[in-house]
Amino acid sequence: MQGKPFLTPADIAQELDISTTTVMRKIHAGEIPAIAVSQRIYRIPAASFEMYKSGRLRTAEPAPMGGRKPRPRLGEGESLPTAERAPLASQA
Amino acid sequence: MATLPQLQSYLGRLAATLWNFGADFPVPTLDSYDAGEVGFSFAAHMPGSDAPKPTIIKIEEIWAPVAGEFERVEYEYDFVEGPLNRRRAFHRHHVDVFMRMFGVAVHEHCEERLKEPTCDHYYGFPTDAVEAIRHFTVQWGQPGPLGCDRLRCIG
Repeated sequence: MQGKPFLTPADIAQELDISTTTVMRKIHAGEIPAIAVSQRIYRIPAASFEMYKSGRLRTAEPAPMGGRKPRPRLGEGESLPTAERAPLASQA
Repeated sequence: MATLPQLQSYLGRLAATLWNFGADFPVPTLDSYDAGEVGFSFAAHMPGSDAPKPTIIKIEEIWAPVAGEFERVEYEYDFVEGPLNRRRAFHRHHVDVFMRMFGVAVHEHCEERLKEPTCDHYYGFPTDAVEAIRHFTVQWGQPGPLGCDRLRCIG
C-alpha cells in the first residue's frame, strides 16, 4: 500500500482488518474522507487515511471573520471573448 | 442567499473537506470588501507529487448584500494539476460581458495541456464550491483526458 496516492475501500479494509462493508459504512458516515468517483466507486487519498489512523482529521468549524481587504479581482489576467478584451482592463 | 454565520460555516466546511484530503493552506477568513460585500480566497496545496509543479485548488467567492443577507455574485474555482500538466475551472465573473455576448453568466475552462487551451472559454452550468471540489477531486491524480472536447466552446 505504501506509495499509493489513493486507496480503495478494500485496501482500507485489509489495513484495518475489517470488512469492506464496514469501511463503506465509515465512508458514508463521514468518518473516513473519500472521493465518490461514482455511486459505487470510492477512493481514499492516502493522506486522508493517515490522518484517520492518527486521529488528525479536522472537524468543520465556522471560519473566522477577517478584516477589510481589497476586493479580489476575479478574472484578472484572463482574456475575455475577443470583442470584449479591451473593456476587461477598464472593469478591473 | 446566506447570512454571515451561514457563510462562515460554509467556508469552514470547505476548508475542513480539503484539509481532510491532506491539503495544506492557512485557515481562510471571511473578509469584508467595499460596498458591503464579503468573500474569501484561498489556495489549497494538495498532497502528492510537486513535480514539475504542485496540484492547487483555488477557491474564491464574492457575495453582495441583498435585503439583509448575502448573494453570491462572483466565483472562481480553479484546479491546476501540475504533475499531470492540466487545468479545469468554473468561473462567474464579468457577468455583464458574458451576458451581453453569449447570454450566459458563467463559463468554464479546460486545458488538457496547461496553458495550451483549445478554447478560451466553455459554456458551463452555475455551480458552487462544494460541487467544484467534488468535481476536481474526482479528476485529481487520474490519468486520461479531462474531456475538454466534450464541452461547448464559447470563444
